Amino acid sequence: MDDVMSRDLISDLPQSIIESILTRLPIRDAVRTSILSSKWRYKWATLTQLVFDEKCVILSNDRCKVEDGLVNFITRTLFLHQGPIHKFQLTTTHLQCCPDIDQWLLFLSRNDIKELVLELGEGEWFRVPSCLFNCKKLTRLDLFRCEFDPPPTFKGFLCLKSLNLHQVLVSPEAIESLISGCPLLESLALSYFDSLALTIRAPNLKFLCLEGEFKDICLENTPLLVAMSVAMYMTDDIAEHFEQSSTCNFNRFLGGVPRLERLIGHIYFTKFLSIGDDLGRLPITYAHLKVVELNQVSFEDMKEILVVLRLITNSPNLRELQISGSSNTLAAIDAPDLDFWEDECPSNCTFKQLRVVRMTDMSGVPHEMEFIKFLLANSPALETMSISPCVYVMDGRLNMLIELLRFRRASAQAEILFIQD
Amino acid sequence: MSEIDMAVIKPEIMKSYIWLQTVDGSIQQVEQEIAMYCPMICHEVIQKGMGSSKNYAISLPQQVNPAMLSLILDYCRFHQVPGRSNKERKSFDEKFTRMDTKRLCELTSAADSLQLKPLVDLTSRALARIIEGKAPEEIREIFHLPDDLTEEEKLEPLKNATDDPRIRLLNRLYAKKRKELKEREKLKNVEVDEELVDDRSVDDLLSFINGDDGDSKGIKTSKSKKKNRRRKDLQKSTSAHEATKNHNKESNGLNSVCRSAEVRQILPSVGATTNLQDVEDDIFPNKNEFDDGDIDDEIDPTLKEKIDREVEDFARRLNSDWPERMQEILSLGQEKKPVHLSLNGKGS
Repeated sequence: MDDVMSRDLISDLPQSIIESILTRLPIRDAVRTSILSSKWRYKWATLTQLVFDEKCVILSNDRCKVEDGLVNFITRTLFLHQGPIHKFQLTTTHLQCCPDIDQWLLFLSRNDIKELVLELGEGEWFRVPSCLFNCKKLTRLDLFRCEFDPPPTFKGFLCLKSLNLHQVLVSPEAIESLISGCPLLESLALSYFDSLALTIRAPNLKFLCLEGEFKDICLENTPLLVAMSVAMYMTDDIAEHFEQSSTCNFNRFLGGVPRLERLIGHIYFTKFLSIGDDLGRLPITYAHLKVVELNQVSFEDMKEILVVLRLITNSPNLRELQISGSSNTLAAIDAPDLDFWEDECPSNCTFKQLRVVRMTDMSGVPHEMEFIKFLLANSPALETMSISPCVYVMDGRLNMLIELLRFRRASAQAEILFIQD
Repeated sequence: MSEIDMAVIKPEIMKSYIWLQTVDGSIQQVEQEIAMYCPMICHEVIQKGMGSSKNYAISLPQQVNPAMLSLILDYCRFHQVPGRSNKERKSFDEKFTRMDTKRLCELTSAADSLQLKPLVDLTSRALARIIEGKAPEEIREIFHLPDDLTEEEKLEPLKNATDDPRIRLLNRLYAKKRKELKEREKLKNVEVDEELVDDRSVDDLLSFINGDDGDSKGIKTSKSKKKNRRRKDLQKSTSAHEATKNHNKESNGLNSVCRSAEVRQILPSVGATTNLQDVEDDIFPNKNEFDDGDIDDEIDPTLKEKIDREVEDFARRLNSDWPERMQEILSLGQEKKPVHLSLNGKGS
């Protein structure tokens, strides 16, 4: 029966390769291989990764039909599946709160699920069932638009390495105890939270991404943190709360991260850091910090400028610096404290490794220009300094250029690029 | 030149080579740093000290013929150079996998045997791209897959999760019968003359067939209550019975032909070339999908009786004990493996 000319090319490859191929197919195509031949009937059924996304939805105008079709497909696939399921991802806008999802999670919790990604549509948020908290082997959990309410007996996911909660309704105590209860946690991302006051205790945490309205963040125990990105929105309440606070946010946030390599801040992050009494000399040096990106830094606020200086002067190995300004030109025409730059500014600091600087959204206010001057004068290894003016500033550009020309450069090969849009 | 001069020059001019032997017996030498990119070769050299000379050439796995080896070495030669950018590597990979499907499959197999994971991933991706979005017929043609599933089996398995408990039980029973038949045949090949069945006379056989006619009529009348599919199956079984009436062979031969003809026709349109083993393997995994708890409750009692009688007849043919068989059938749901039947050569 084996005719050399038409011998089966692929069915006898090792199962690990077949699974490698099937995993790279969209799930519908993978399941359809079961009708290719008798050998292929159940090759797909032992896949350990099941990813259901918009590609497996059969589009039609009837919304109910689409929903039912998708629910049936997923239910049947799980039913016909054999063996452990290590990764389950459901990303779709067509399902919101649906009782079938509870059953799927129950099934998965009994099948050694390790990675779970649940991204559902807008609308009523899905309430995570308690069986999720029984998934002992969970290493990755991504939830989008869910209600998350751990039972009081829940201690944490002991194997969890990556946690991503985006628009999740959960009480602050629950989040804090969840984070502390996951001793192996390496990557944490929390986004779109309302007025959250958070203390993070995660001894193995390496990557942190926060976005939302945070009343307070304290990194109490994160010695291994390598990269962080924080976008802080601020409402009036929070601003008031900050006015009254006296604890030094800079130390509370950046005081315990000696291994930091990348720092990215957005919106009110620099302002957040600037709040509180300055306790003088920073106890740690950021010896590994190579890339700093601070957005929306207001050069009209002396405290924010001090934060930036404090950060970069304690980072001897800084290679890349990117700062975007958010100044109101009209208000800053006569800037107070300009003599700071001559009198108090740290004069003996050199940025020995700084290669690339990007200043964006520059309005040309005095403090911005002084800062640029300061950088140029103290960066012997600088290669590029690029400056992009803010779109609203049309008249001041010429003045900016004239000032820039005068600045002394410590680096002979530094290029200054003035980028107009 | 003096010895000292040679010692200085040697390391620069002379690269070290590894000797590799492919499955066809041919031996070639390959620069060490290129060959060592493959973990399997690396292991052989370091752990076992092989490959240093022609006599001690490393024997490559059988999936690696000279053509495949040449391709793999091209891949290694490019990628083992550290200075290449990601863009260059991607571009090379993309061009590299442009080959006909047969070679791509062979290459995947060869790379896997040499444990060269980056190349296995690359070829897997290429194969996945070939499969994606194509209709089953196209895929079968590309990979020369045999089209050996039945029409029912080809219905998307997702639609085919049969809920009808009667169909489930039937499938299970028929699978059991087929297995018995297979084992009968095996035994037959071993011992020519013994056998439970040869004790029976032709009369006995005819009465069995006639008796079945009566039964089949009964099945026909109750047919109207059943679904289409069931009707089809029963029609086939009755026609099989009628056909066997006309055979006039020795009892041995007749029995086996009769049984296989019946069995084949009863099974939901099994394709002519179907290997019984394969179909059986199909059915058994199906078992796990069904809810076994309530099969008995939902079956029409008269039908159940008919099924019981059929099974009993077959059991008599095979000369096993009825209670034992019933036990085995009922316990099908609990066990994953098919029950091993012990056949003795005596009449019941």
